[in-house]
Order: sequence, then C-alpha cells, then structure tokens
Amino acid sequence: MQGTKVVRPFPFFRAGARASQPQLSKPILVLEDVYKFFRPDQPTLRGVDLSVERGEFAFITGPSGAGKSTLLKLIYRELRVDEGRVLFCGRDIGRLTDKSIPFLRRNLGVVFQDFRIIDHWTVFENVAVALEIVSMPQRLIRSRVAEALERVGLAGRGPEQTSNLSGGEKQRVAVARAIVPEPALILADEPTGNLDPHLAIDILTLFEEINSTGTTVLFATHDRSLISKRDHRLISIDDGRVSEAQQGLKHWQGSSGIHTLVSSAWGRRCSA
Amino acid sequence: MTNLDAAATRWGQSGRITLFLRDGADPQDIAQLRVVLEGLADVSEVTHVTPAQARESFLEEADVGADLSKLPSEVFPASLEVALVQGVTRERSESIAMRLTQFRAVSDVESYGRWFQKLDHLLWGARMLAGGLALLVMFCVVAVIGNTIRLAVARRRQEIEVMKLCGATNGFVRGPFVLEGMFQGFASALLAVLSLLVGYLVLHDSVDSTLAALTGSKVVFLGAWTVVALLVGGAVIGAIGSAVSVRRYLAV
Ligand SMILES: Nc1ncnc2c1ncn2[C@@H]1O[C@H](COP(=O)(O)OP(=O)(O)OP(=O)(O)O)[C@@H](O)[C@H]1O
Ligand SMILES: [Mg+2]
Repeated sequence: MQGTKVVRPFPFFRAGARASQPQLSKPILVLEDVYKFFRPDQPTLRGVDLSVERGEFAFITGPSGAGKSTLLKLIYRELRVDEGRVLFCGRDIGRLTDKSIPFLRRNLGVVFQDFRIIDHWTVFENVAVALEIVSMPQRLIRSRVAEALERVGLAGRGPEQTSNLSGGEKQRVAVARAIVPEPALILADEPTGNLDPHLAIDILTLFEEINSTGTTVLFATHDRSLISKRDHRLISIDDGRVSEAQQGLKHWQGSSGIHTLVSSAWGRRCSA
Repeated sequence: MTNLDAAATRWGQSGRITLFLRDGADPQDIAQLRVVLEGLADVSEVTHVTPAQARESFLEEADVGADLSKLPSEVFPASLEVALVQGVTRERSESIAMRLTQFRAVSDVESYGRWFQKLDHLLWGARMLAGGLALLVMFCVVAVIGNTIRLAVARRRQEIEVMKLCGATNGFVRGPFVLEGMFQGFASALLAVLSLLVGYLVLHDSVDSTLAALTGSKVVFLGAWTVVALLVGGAVIGAIGSAVSVRRYLAV
C-alpha cells in the first residue's frame, strides 16, 4: 500500500467541492432520448428525457414492469442504452468501456430491495468492502466505516454478524455501504420493498438525511403511501415514457392528485 | 524417461559383436580373421574365448542350482569377442557383422542388432507410457483445480457481485482466486514430485542393480531444474485454470 492517496479517475464525481464551477452548476444526470430494447419490436424505455440537478431528491415511480429498474441499471451501467445518451457529470455513460465501468461505480451508491449484503461477513466488512476495492489504507477504512455506520444509526455495531440483523438493519448496512465512498449520486431501487411501513419511513428518512448533506438521491418505489408522505420531485415511468409531477406533493395532497396521477398510469398499463 | 534414455545411449555406444566359430575350425583361419578384425578402424579389441573359458564364465555368472558342468561342449562354442570403438552406429556394426559371416571359420555372428531393436521398442513404449501418464496427471490437475476454483467462485458469487457493484475491477476480484489456484497447482505439483521421490527411494536399490547388469546404466532422479520447472508449471497451470474459471462470473 502506498501512502494514503487514493487514485480516483473522476475526482470531480465526488460529493466534495472538488468539481469545477461550470460542472457543478450543470445537472448531475441527464438522459437524452433514451431507448432500451429487450425485444426488437417493444422498447422497454422509449425516448426518455430526464434531467436531475445536483443535490436533488427524486422519486421514480410507475407500475411493475414499467422500467424503473431498467432506468437505474442504465445509470450504473449494468445495462447499456440502445439509443440516446445518459450523461453523468457530463460524461456519456453509454460509451464507457468495460474497463472504466468500475470507476463510474465508485462514484455511485446503489441500494436494492433485497439488500445484497453478505450474510457471513460482519457489519463492518459489508461496509468496508466499498473502500477495500480501491485499496484504501485500513486505518482510513476503519474511521470512515465507523462514520458511515453512525450516519445510518448503527454506531458501534461493526463487529456484529450480519445474519443476526433485522431486515431494516440490513438495509441500513446496505445504505452505509452505498454512502461510505461519498458518492455524488445514490440510486435506490425499491429499498423499502421488503420492509414494514414504519421501517420504510425510517429508511426513507435516512435517504433524506443523506440528501441533506448534498448527495443526489434517486429513489425508485411503487409505494404510493410513501410517495404521498413527502414533497419530492416525482418522476413517473409508464409505457416506457417519463412523465413528471414537478410540483411539490403538498400541493396535491387532499386533492388526491398524486393518486390520480399514479393510478391513472397504472390503469393505462393494465388496460394496455 | 531420463533413466531409459541413459540406457539407450550406453547401449548404442558400447557396440559389440560376437563371432561364433565353427567346431574344429582351422586355427590359421582364426588367426587370419583376427588380423583382419584388428585391421578394421571400427574395432578396438578382439578377444578369443575358448569353449572352456565360455563354460567357466557361464557357470560363474549363471547361478543355477542344477549341475551344469555336464553340459556338452557344443553348447559352448569358441568365439571371438569383438569390441567396437566408441560411437560406432548400429547400422555400421550390422554391416560389419554381415561381412564377417563370409569367413569360413565363422558359424554365426551376433551383432546384438535385434536386441537393440527390442530395446528400442521397449523404450518407445515406455516413452509413450510416460508421456501418456504425464498428460493424464496434468489433465487431472487442471480438472481438479478448475473444479475447486469454480466451486469457490460459485460459493462467492454474491461477494463478487457486491464487489463489482461497488466498483471493483476484474483484476481485483480475480486476484484472490488466481492466487488460490496458483497455490493449489504448486501444491499438487509438489505432491506429485514427492510421491515420485518416495517411489524412487523405495525402488531404486533393487531396480538399480538389475538395470545396471542389464544395460550398465543407473537410475537417476529428476534433475533439480526439472523439479523447479514442474513446480512452477503446476503453479502456472493452477493460475490459468482459476483465471479461466472466474472469467464467466466477471461479465458485468
Ligand atoms: N434482462 C432483461 N431481459 C429481458 N427483459 C427484461 C430484462 N430486464 C427487464 N426486462 C423487461 O423490461 C421491463 C421492465 O423491467 P423493470 O425491471 O425495469 O421494471 P420495474 O419498473 O423495475 O418493475 P418492478 O416494479 O416490478 O421492479 C419488464 O417487462 C421486464 O420483463
Ligand atoms: Mg424493479
């Protein structure tokens, strides 16, 4: 191990203030006319245009099979766009070579419905893996993991075996793993899908706290009750297209606007 | 293989021809034959063995229980032992033998050509066997290592996924598996060499004496460099095997 310097190919991707001024003022994520085909005749995403500002918190919603997960996969490059562009910090993600994908992912945090943590690792190990892959010195890893665990409300629980944790705690471990490299953007794919309603709110609140420190969060969910509780930007995907409810949800509350928006989308899907 | 080659070389170099003489051959013919033989450039030494000498040396060497001293004298004809100089090829000694049959005093010529041929066949067979065995062992090592690594990779599939998701490079993920494969390859090569050594230590005393009597060669163990090459080769094969096994799981 050589010194404490960690080589980051895209230093300006980090949440810190190292980005140049013009880059900072631009949207962190832009999708331009994005198409994704799994079958040649039926695109899963058709002409998606989307722009996410730095520091935003946005819900992504839509019926099951609408393409929420697909959209997120295009961003962390598990999938590649078929047409159009995905720009992250101004870089075309679709054109990254396989070799540079790891460097993109070090600037993203991804959280899933099924937690994806390793049961036979300790809490510490599950979080530390995100730093070990860049060969960060152990001393630094220890302090940053401790800090991340504190942020997700698991302070001092590093030595515990992950298999003994509850679902909500496991998801907190996954969130800690996502935030410990201080990524600029967090992608959450139905992170509350496996959790009780009150735990879902806890996790949502956790993401909001993370967002309040400047990290951009995209939170995919089809839990309407969760969406209706908050006043965030709502990106709705249906039939491969994106529609937006840019106005705050407080404005919609009572009038059941969000419910009509979401359920009408679902209705169309079902009748299609 | 090393051992057999040594035997072949030794035999090839120590060319000998035995001329069996007719009973009651004219001593003058024999003397003339000796002169001719000693005049040949390929011949280094000619020894006359009388029937009495032949019987004596036979009884001395053949340690059989039965009383053989009563054997009739025709069994032990007089002969000329012709030693050829070093480096005479087999073909050359065959042709010399052919020409010597023309002499009146000679009843039969043994140039040991057929013996050489037999040894050749034996050597060829042994080489094929050894090569086949080596291939089999290598195949087994690759299969076993490939399999254990594949199992290890499958067991750690989740971990690989998590590491890839966090932005680990393929090299980083592959590293531990390749190291493990390397270690296993090295260990199996070491095991093979050690069992060979044990076999050698157990057998070499008895084999040595027979082989020495038969061919005048000695059993030698693999050279130090061969052992090193085997160990390194094992490690390399193990590393390659595991790298190949991990490949599938590294697709994004
Ligand atoms: N790898 C794939 N191969 C083929 N089809 C796929 C693949 N991934 C997704 N799809 C299809 O694309 C569509 C969108 O899937 P996606 O997982 O993005 O939906 P989603 O909005 O996340 O749904 P959910 O709410 O159930 O998670 C579905 O019809 C799905 O069958
Ligand atoms: Mg999904």
